[in-house]
Amino acid sequence: MTNVKQPIWETKEMINGMAKEQSIAGKKRPGLSAQGVSTLAQANAEQPALKTENWFFSYGQDWAIKDITLEVPTKQVTAFIGPSGCGKSTLLRCFNRLNDLIAGARFQGQIYAEGTNIYDRDLDVTDLRKRIGMVFQKSNPFPKSIYENVAYGPRISGIKKSGDLDEIVERSLRQAALWDEVKDRLDSTALGLSGGQQQRLCIARTIAVEPQVVLMDEPCSALDPIASAKIEELILELKKDYTIVIVTHNMQQAARVSDLTAYLWLGQLIEFNKTGLIFTNPKEKLTEDYISGRFG
Amino acid sequence: MQIELGEKAVTSQRRLSDRESRVRLMKRKLYDRIARWVVAGGGFTIIASILAILLFILMEIAPLFRPAEVTEVNRSTVTALFTDTPEIGADIVALSIDENREVACLLSAGGVVQFISLKTWQLLESHLLPEIRGQKITSVWQSFKSDRFVLGTDHGLAVQLHIGYNARFFEGQRSYRPAINSGSTWPVAPSNERLTDVAFSGDPEESMIIAGISDKGRVHIFQQTKEASLFGEAEVDSAHYQLEQIWTGKPAAVAIDGTMRNLYMGSTDGKIYHWLLSPAAAPEFVTTTKAVSGDGGGITDLQFLLGGRTLIAADSNGGIGAWFLVRDSIGPAGWRLTKIRDLQTHVGSVVKLAPSARGKGFISADADGNLFLHHSTSGRFLAEFSTGAGIPVKALSFAPKANGALTLAADGKLTHWNVDNPHPEASVKSFFGKVWYEGYEEPEYVWQSTGGTDEFEPKLSLVPLLFGSLKGTLYALVIAVPLAIFGALFTSQFMHPGLRNKIKPTVEIMAALPSVVLGFLGGLWLAPRIEIIIPALLLMAVVLPLLTLLVSALWKALPGRYRSNVRPGVESLVLVPVLLFGIWLSLQLNGFMETMLFAGDFRVWLYEQAGMSFDQRNALVVGLVMGFAIIPLIYTISEDAFSNVPGNLVSGSLALGATRWQTALKVVVPTAAAGIFSAVMIGLGRAVGETMIVLMATGNTPIMDWNIFNGFRTLSANIAVEIPEAPLGGTLYRVLFLAAMLLFVITFVVNTAAELVRQRLRRQFQKL
Repeated sequence: MTNVKQPIWETKEMINGMAKEQSIAGKKRPGLSAQGVSTLAQANAEQPALKTENWFFSYGQDWAIKDITLEVPTKQVTAFIGPSGCGKSTLLRCFNRLNDLIAGARFQGQIYAEGTNIYDRDLDVTDLRKRIGMVFQKSNPFPKSIYENVAYGPRISGIKKSGDLDEIVERSLRQAALWDEVKDRLDSTALGLSGGQQQRLCIARTIAVEPQVVLMDEPCSALDPIASAKIEELILELKKDYTIVIVTHNMQQAARVSDLTAYLWLGQLIEFNKTGLIFTNPKEKLTEDYISGRFG
Repeated sequence: MQIELGEKAVTSQRRLSDRESRVRLMKRKLYDRIARWVVAGGGFTIIASILAILLFILMEIAPLFRPAEVTEVNRSTVTALFTDTPEIGADIVALSIDENREVACLLSAGGVVQFISLKTWQLLESHLLPEIRGQKITSVWQSFKSDRFVLGTDHGLAVQLHIGYNARFFEGQRSYRPAINSGSTWPVAPSNERLTDVAFSGDPEESMIIAGISDKGRVHIFQQTKEASLFGEAEVDSAHYQLEQIWTGKPAAVAIDGTMRNLYMGSTDGKIYHWLLSPAAAPEFVTTTKAVSGDGGGITDLQFLLGGRTLIAADSNGGIGAWFLVRDSIGPAGWRLTKIRDLQTHVGSVVKLAPSARGKGFISADADGNLFLHHSTSGRFLAEFSTGAGIPVKALSFAPKANGALTLAADGKLTHWNVDNPHPEASVKSFFGKVWYEGYEEPEYVWQSTGGTDEFEPKLSLVPLLFGSLKGTLYALVIAVPLAIFGALFTSQFMHPGLRNKIKPTVEIMAALPSVVLGFLGGLWLAPRIEIIIPALLLMAVVLPLLTLLVSALWKALPGRYRSNVRPGVESLVLVPVLLFGIWLSLQLNGFMETMLFAGDFRVWLYEQAGMSFDQRNALVVGLVMGFAIIPLIYTISEDAFSNVPGNLVSGSLALGATRWQTALKVVVPTAAAGIFSAVMIGLGRAVGETMIVLMATGNTPIMDWNIFNGFRTLSANIAVEIPEAPLGGTLYRVLFLAAMLLFVITFVVNTAAELVRQRLRRQFQKL
């Protein structure tokens, strides 16, 4: 593919093509069952929270993600580390299909969330995104009040009763360790909060829709050390209820908060193991070079 | 070693660049300064030129509101003029002045007509009226230009007098051969009655009426009718009537209007009596009205203003009122004499009125020697001047061009005045208030700047034009705003980027269409077509949204596997054939609709059912065409506003499981609100100032009616329409500048408001 502005519908055709290729090759895509429709609600809890199989992804020209196969276990923190441009954020955004918005994106392979193929054509993307929430690198509260920011997700899911909303807002803010700081000014604009508070508000907003997985894309990169420490504490707290996938540049952070660490390099998965093992006894030379600070 | 080397390198570099760096620094400072001056100069030039335009417009408008100036040119006395014949000088009864204000004519009670030069105060010529021999002139009626007189004598006769100044040019010099023409005399009253006031209307050669008041307190009417028979021989009939004495007090003044059908008499107890005149029958009394406020005041003079419709009544209390007939279904004649407005009151009794031969102005003179210059339509008191305190004004003449006056005081002082009164009809009230114009039933806002005759009363209300501008703008916005904003929202949030990159410049090209082309298309092509498909248009308003909803529902019901084969963001193209079908269907049903709902003819139905008239070039056409013109503007600005909503907000909303529609409505639109507001305001500013489209696609009728099927006239189109009719420096010319100023102010206010709101909201969202 040489055309950078390869439009998204190419992906659809590619899928069709791929499906044909795969069927010729005798492989059957597990997600495409005969019944067609499958929802995440029916998913088997025994399955890993997220699973990729031979996943390739491209923004148009070269593959940004090459042949990644990994499993993210439930209610644990999985960290993606790697040098800039290694594809860790791209991979993260594949999990809630936010990359769909980019013109010319194409992919190959499968991603399953609790056993459901999330790239299934009959899948409701909005439903998927409610199940797999995301916290962004730069905090992005809406230009609304603190209350409205948290209530936004529940509202669009159809919760209208103010009593229910109040309850959700308080619970989410408490879970995000922000309640005590903002309970007296829920109606003031979210843009008046500090950077760390804004980021915790975004976390509260994400967990207000009760997702199964929370994706975090370098959530602390724009924060000072104290604010970062609070977020890290929060991640360890949230681990009890949610599966967390975090992309980070900060290896100490990965070491502190994650149970599993994946090291990506030039779009390839180099090593994926328990965090302790990755940082103390990496198997791969590339991993060792990176964590010892020789590049990156 | 290494460290040392490093230090050395640093110092040598510094020493090397010491002088150079200073030169560089100076250069940079110089460039910086030049750049700053150029930029600042450019900015200041723009501001200065805008201010200069504003100043120019203001300078053109300012004279409108300046009062008139009356200055004395020169003066003399009758004793100095008539040293040989002081008896003539002592009883001058009427004055006249030629249109170049170089020669004047003095008429004495003994029938001597004296022409004098106003430059040198020398007697030029003297004539004796043979008809007056043995009598005395006791009352005078004079025409607006003071060239025709009807003189009432102490023997009950009325004598016709015509003065000709006969100016001629010879080798660049103007000379005069004044002449008089008299001859006709009419017996208005018995010869033992002295006529104290006469009024005249008509043409002495044709039909005419003379009314006279005698010292016996009687009112006589002399009526002459001329009927041309089939064989070309004219038959002159004359009749004489004496009015029945129904009045209280004594008759003081009479006046006959321009139609020769209404006679008014003012009495010494302050009433105006109204009779209807007809060629064949005796005068018929209609009604009487109290015309003087307060007790003890009597009418002193009645004069018609130019056009013979507005009657000015002056009284002994110093009051001056403007009256005319207003249609009245209750009154006996179907018309009722109504006081329209009061003009500036004198302290003393008003003794004389002199109407202008140019427009609805007049001069009033009181017993204390004060003279006021008025204008009836605008109600303005324009100037005040005096012939000398405490000395009554004896005779008064307003120059034919209304640019000068000649007064004679009781002490024999003859004064020639210069009247500088360029814009008497201009006043804040006449531009922005309701004015009661001649022939109207009530005060109204009317724009009608020019008429067919000199007697026309200009109606200069800017309110209908402001209304027109507002109406056109409103209808254009009603059509453009939803289309442009929803279009922009769709392109920025839903459309596929590849398509968006083509659509946006295409819409922007729409803005490049010259408005004259749009106006031409609207007025000549669209308007006649719209006219016949109104029922179809109404049908479309129902059919198209329904079809859209239907197709959307069908689309939603389609299984995902079919839907996903269509490029996201181009699925709306499915709507194109559907909407085209809807339009086709509506057009096909046009005749059916018209027959079923509108009794076969929409325009007739509209008039009969709703009382609304239908213009072919109406607000609907303008709304469509001007809407088309401002869509690109609103579209581009709001598309930018939508696209500038930070992507991470959109992602944040989508990541919470919101649909694109929810995201667009709940996150993108509120965040882009400032941009949308300024887009609408800028579109509004453009629509208010738009000229060619409204000029060509409306009927340019300055009416105030919200009816969408009626035309209107905007401020901008009005300027374009009337500029060819407006003489440089004239009132209309300056009023058009006032309209321009209004436009300037409106667009300035709208654009400033848009900018302020935009900046305020931008500051609010800066933290995003």
